Formats: sequence, C-alpha cells, structure tokens
Amino acid sequence: MSDDMNHDPLKSLGELKAPAPSERARERALGAGMAAFEAAKTRETKKSAAATQGTGWGRRLTSIIASLKGNWIMDLRLPIGTAAIALLILPLGYQLYTTTSMTPAQGRATGPAEIIAPPPEPAPATAEAPAANLQASQPAPVPMLAEESRANAPAAKQEMAPMRDALAQGGAGADTDFEAAPMAQDNAASAQRPAPAFGATTEGYADLMAEPGLPSIIMTQPVEPSGDQFTPFDESRLKVVADEPVSTFSIDVDTASYSYVRRQIEDGFLPESDAVRIEEMINYFPYDYAAPEMAEVPFEPIMAVYPTPWNSKTQLLHIGIKGYVPPMGEDRPSNLVFLIDTSGSMDEPDKLPLLKRAFGLMVDQLSANDRVSIVVYAGSAGVVLEPTAATDKAKILGALDRLGAGGSTAGAEGIELAYRLAEEGRIEGGTNRVILATDGDFNVGIADPEQLEDFIKAKRDSGVTLSVLGFGRGNLDDATMQALAQNGNGNASYIANFREAQKVLVEEGGSTLQMIAKDVKIQVEFNPAVVAEYRLIGYETRALKREDFNNDAVDAGDIGAGHSVTALYEITPVGSGAQMVDPLRYGGEGAAGSGDEIGFLKMRYKLPDEDVSRLIEVPVTPELVHGDIADVGDDMRFAAAVAAFGQKLKGSSYGAMSWDAIAALAQSGRGADEGGYRAEFMQVLKTAALLKPDTCAGEGCR
Amino acid sequence: MGLPSQTLVPDPAAETRDLVARAQNGDGEAFGELIEAHYDLIYRAAYKWSGHRSDAEDIAQEVCIKLGNAIAGFDGRAAFSSWLYRITLNAVRDMQRAKSRRSRQADALAHVSPQNGPAEQEDAATASQLWAAVRQLPEKQRDAVLLVYAEEMSHAEAGEVMGCKEATVSWHIHEARKTLRGLL
Repeated sequence: MSDDMNHDPLKSLGELKAPAPSERARERALGAGMAAFEAAKTRETKKSAAATQGTGWGRRLTSIIASLKGNWIMDLRLPIGTAAIALLILPLGYQLYTTTSMTPAQGRATGPAEIIAPPPEPAPATAEAPAANLQASQPAPVPMLAEESRANAPAAKQEMAPMRDALAQGGAGADTDFEAAPMAQDNAASAQRPAPAFGATTEGYADLMAEPGLPSIIMTQPVEPSGDQFTPFDESRLKVVADEPVSTFSIDVDTASYSYVRRQIEDGFLPESDAVRIEEMINYFPYDYAAPEMAEVPFEPIMAVYPTPWNSKTQLLHIGIKGYVPPMGEDRPSNLVFLIDTSGSMDEPDKLPLLKRAFGLMVDQLSANDRVSIVVYAGSAGVVLEPTAATDKAKILGALDRLGAGGSTAGAEGIELAYRLAEEGRIEGGTNRVILATDGDFNVGIADPEQLEDFIKAKRDSGVTLSVLGFGRGNLDDATMQALAQNGNGNASYIANFREAQKVLVEEGGSTLQMIAKDVKIQVEFNPAVVAEYRLIGYETRALKREDFNNDAVDAGDIGAGHSVTALYEITPVGSGAQMVDPLRYGGEGAAGSGDEIGFLKMRYKLPDEDVSRLIEVPVTPELVHGDIADVGDDMRFAAAVAAFGQKLKGSSYGAMSWDAIAALAQSGRGADEGGYRAEFMQVLKTAALLKPDTCAGEGCR
Repeated sequence: MGLPSQTLVPDPAAETRDLVARAQNGDGEAFGELIEAHYDLIYRAAYKWSGHRSDAEDIAQEVCIKLGNAIAGFDGRAAFSSWLYRITLNAVRDMQRAKSRRSRQADALAHVSPQNGPAEQEDAATASQLWAAVRQLPEKQRDAVLLVYAEEMSHAEAGEVMGCKEATVSWHIHEARKTLRGLL
C-alpha cells in the first residue's frame, strides 16, 4: 500500500483516547439493551420455533432477493445484450446525472455540497428541458416552487417546518434553489441567473455541511452551538423607590430554563444568555416552605430579609410560596390527551424514545377514574388511542410503543383533534388537559401563531388546559413553548433525560396536573423611608404593569398542588451607602414615606373555578430582617446561590461572585436534598466554572 | 466462569462465543454480561466516529438496543467483534443522517470541529484538524481509515466489518489519502 511515507500522519488517529462514558449513560444503555433483548425474546417465543434456529432475518432476506434475481433472468429472459447495454449506459447516465448537477433535486443534505463544487456549466439538454424552460425563463417562479417543494419533497418539507419562524425567507429560498438551479441551467442562455441563488443555498445549509464529500473545510466555521430559540429579554433594571415604589409581576412555576441550561453545560457549552431565566432556575428546586391548610387560601407567603451574598451593603427580600397540597385520599379525576410530535426530527434517542418512557411513567401514576388518549401529528396524523381508562395500562403502553417517528406529512388538524378528544372525554370537576410533546415542530395544524394562541385561550376558557413538554436540542422553540403553555394555563417543561421525566411527570405529577390557583400576581410596594432602591431578580419575561394587578382580565401564571415559587428582590436600604442612583439635587418629588415597614406584599389569585380574584395582603416588617445569611434557612441560602449562579451565567451587570463563593453558599444550603437535585446543581456549577473560569481567584474578583 | 474482563479489544475467544450462544438461546443474564463487556468498545468507537460525547453515548445505547433485537440473528459467520463494529457503524450513520435531516443543525458542527468541544477533547486538539477532515470523508473512506488507523485493524479485518474485500479497503484508504492530500 501507500503507507511508505516516513511519517504517516494517519497513524496519529490511533492516539485519540475517548473520554470515559458517563456512568448514567452506560447504565441507561445497558438497561435499554436488556429491555430490547427481553422484548425480542418475547416476540420470538410467540412466533414459531423456526426463528430460533439460527436464521436471522438478515439472512433470510438476502436469500429471498437472491432467488428473485435468479427468477427474473430466467423468467423474463432478458437478453444478455440488453444487460450489457444497460451496464454501459448506467455509468454514463450516472456521469451525466452528476455533472449536470441535478442530484440536488433529490434534496438531501449532500445536495448543496455538490451545487457549490462545480461552477455552473451549460449542460446538455435533458428530457425535462422544455418544461424547465417554461419555468426558468421567468424569474418569478421562486415562491411558487417553494410551495411545490413544501407539498412534494418530504425531506425538504421536514427541514422547512422548524425553520419557518426565523428563517422563513432564507429557508424557502434554499429549498427552492434545488429545483430552480438545475432547470435554469438547462436553459443555457440564462445560466447567469441562478448565481445569487447559490449564495442563499450555501448560507441556508452551511450547518448541514458535515456530510461527506465536501471539497473544502471552509464550511466548518463554528457558529453558536444551539439552534434553539428563546424570547430575548433584558435583565430587569434597578428601580428607585421614590420614582417607582411598586413592582408587579406574574408568578412562573416553569422550570424549563434550568433543565436546558444544565444540559448545555453538561455538554460543554455555555447557554446563551436569553436561555437563562433566573426565576425558572430558582423554582426548579423543591423548597420546604410551610404549606397552607385549606384549599380556599391555597398559599401563604413566607418572607425573610437577609444580606445579599454578592453585596454586603444590600439585602435580599425573599418571598416564597408553596401551593396547597390536597390530602392523599382526594383523587381528582383527570382526562389527559397526549398530543405527540412524530416528525422525523423526533427520531433521536433523547426525543421520541425518551418521551415514550416518560409517558409510560406517567401512566403508571394514574388511577381508575383517569382517562388517557393519544393523538399524533407531523409524521403521521390521527388518533392513536381513543379515550381509554387509565387502568387499561397494557393498551395505553402498547399504543405508545407503536409510535414511530418519520415522514413529514402535514398532520393538519392535530391540535383540533386533540381538543376534540379532550372535550369528548371531558370530566366535570376534574382535570381536562392536552399535553403537547414536541422538539420544536409546532406544525400542529394552525399555522398562524396568534391564531394558535387564541385557539388555545378559547379552549382554556372552556376548561381544557394545555401543557407543553420540550424534548431534544437544536430545534427547540422555547419561545413558542412558553407562549402556548401560558395561554393554556399549563406548564412548559424541558425534558432532557429520564431523570427529568421522572421529576416532572411523577414527583411533580400532582402539581403539573392539578391547578390550585390561577392568574397569580404579586405586587410589592416598597416604603421609601426604608428602601432606597430595589431590583427584582429574574421574572423579566413575566413583568406586569402596575394597573394589571387589579385587572382580572389580565392573564398570569398558575400554581399547581405543592408547587413552590420563590421571588427575590435585592433591596438597598436607605442610608446604606450602596445606592447606585444619586439623590436628586432639587428633591421634592414622590412620597417620603414613613413608618418602619420595609414594604407591603399583595398577591392576587383566582381559585380554579372562579373568575373573580381574591387578595392576600401581608406587610414586610422589620422582624423579618436577619443580620447574617447564616441565620436563615437552608432553602433561602440555596435560592440565593442559584440566583448568583444565574446572574453569573448571564453576565449580569449586578453583583459578581466567584464560582468558589457560589459553591460554598450552595453547599451550605444543601440541606436534606431528598431528590439529589441540589447535589446535581453543585456538579453543574463545577462544570460551568471550568467553562467560564474566573479571571482571577479569590476575594479580589468580587 | 466469571465476568469477562472489560478489555478494549474483545477477546474473540471461547468466552464471548459462549456468551453469544447462551444469549441466542434466550439467556438474559448472558446477554447482560455480553453487552456490559462490550459497552466500552462500542462507546469508544462511537466517540471516534462522532467526536461528540453525548452522541457517542446515544449511539452506544442505540447499539445496545439493536443488539438486544438482533442477537438471535447473529449467525457466527463473522467474528462477533466485526459484527458489533458493523452495527455500531450503521448506528453512527443512521444518527448522522437523522441529524442532517434537521433544519438548522448547528450542533453537527460540534462533531466536525472538536476544538470547539469541551475540555475532554484537549488531547485531541493537536490532531483536531486531521480528525475534522477525516470525519468529513465519504462514509466508506472514513470507515476504512478509522477502522485501520484509529481501531488499528488489518485491512482484512476492516474488510470483514465493512462487508467488502481487503483490496476494497485498501482502495478506500488510497482514495482517502488523495482527498486528504492537502492536509497530510
């Protein structure tokens, strides 16, 4: 062979050492293998004994093909000459086919690479040329072809759907070029026209260039590591109490942000800053706040004021609430409709297979008076399981098992179908909910996002709520997920792995399913005599206007059984010397305030079946102030550490702590940590510290 | 007979054959031992092919599942390890195809440019350009090069995995060298 060089660089390929696999992945894989083995065994025993005698399907298949081949030649008596001619023509045809760069019309990822490689050259006319001329001679056909490719080419379609929001234009252009380019080339005279289109193609598909056959390495420019979409927002700013004494926001019990951030960090990427929503990170962890006794007052605020860990001159106002937990015996019936995305992109281990196992877990939790149905969209559309009593687990799990990802036929009325089933199986006085599981393909049948939100809102008002579970990465449309779940009075969760599925669907299954209060709003008024400045940490995407608080028509977050919600304000006491804003020289504006109360907390909520809100009012008194952060409970220290972590990840303009200091604080607040979530947070923290090291170590950095 | 030791290169010896035979007869325990003993091999190969740890873990899991489904069909004509490699390579290809179907597959870039990856790939940083180029080769060429140079197989063994002749493997490597000429 040609290995006769002095030093063969290829030899160095043998030197790469793969990093050790994570134990969890290993166990998961071995478990999955065993399960598959057992399943195969069961199938095998059901079949006749023939299959176990060593003839695998692979071999039998080949033998069928071989015998078919034999029969063909014998029966059809193909003349040898024809065969020989075919042998000659095939390579020739192939040559022609590739050099005329028609391959891309088939639309797979290798396509663009080949468009780019050869400069456009006038090709010999093919059978399609006349037809092509018609279209290529007018510059207009681009949008029309886009429509066509949407309807015809399954591969192209699939790539289109998730792109439609951000890249609608670029995407359409790129797809169309596949068709337009070769046609235009056949019309040799107009060979110039496709030139700009090529540019569009390379851009639209630059990130697909990993496919083989690429002539250059220029394409491998790194881009940001995720294709996921998030609602952009700015960190909430510091407010001066004299100007703006009232702060209003809606609660947020979602936790998707933390799961997403954790996964990114575990995979070695820093999450983009819009993906970090601090309130969702704080609320991911269970806190042991005292739960109220009765359903009529579904929660009570727990408050404390303690020194800010990242700024010794300011204080944190910690507001924690925990939702009422109905007694165990009270089993509220549920009517659940799973609306499952089966588009081709779901065909990855951390999507559809994970989803199946996750729902399997959930079904195990349901009881005799619960009902389950399954509707799929995207890949295949329709009802997979009619409303079925949850006790018929075998039937439900069987239906789940049969789901497969693939294809991309538009599953037109997916969402309407799901809601129709939910209404057919409606249980009065129970939970009626559609659970949408997707990796970001919201092609559920209503294309216009606003219309979709309105539809969901209308259904919510008729009593059917919507939760969204996000899976996978690279395609995740977090913004839409959040918007839909909020409009549907449900939760948005991001399921990164089996453990997460267990947390969301089993441990918190009750709260995910059973809403105990809706439209929960919080309003805090600060006393200018005591507090000079304040800043709400997180909740940027949940801010409300002051006047919205008393307006029952304004929608806000919902709280489920046992949910805990935490909000933190960083407050600067008057006279602490830590004010960021100078007092006005000519003063005279605003109320001066009096008394020694720090502020006044008001919360509004509606009971699940009511439309008129109720009010809870509690003053924030000086008795709540702790002089040392060590005096407050573990939960509060931990929440402060998570807030510091979130701010550091975002590159917040307020308060920087070193990684070590955050870790120490979190460690001190770890507490009993029953689910092991806080221990896991410590690991995430360590990894993040490696990814974004402090520029200098020790106290000096603060 | 105890657990087979978790060596990188599986012993094609009696132990594996025995486990395979028992697993084919429906012995779940034997199958468990078998995949446990080979998990590292699968995962490491998947890592070399994909260059991405989470992908490698997913692929390894996929392979374990496929093994569970297909072990009964293993006919012993090729060595078990060759068969295993073939399944792993197929899984790698399936995954990469599935990935490339996705619209804005930015993540795919992570596996062609390991220098962007996490710290665990620092070892490879020097060779990263070469790795990036090799992973971009057409599938057959890439498989041949990686089997021969990264997995240190002979051309004949690689041929067995790829289901082609020894000479074909040599030809793929020759072609790969031509493609990579600028880099080597």
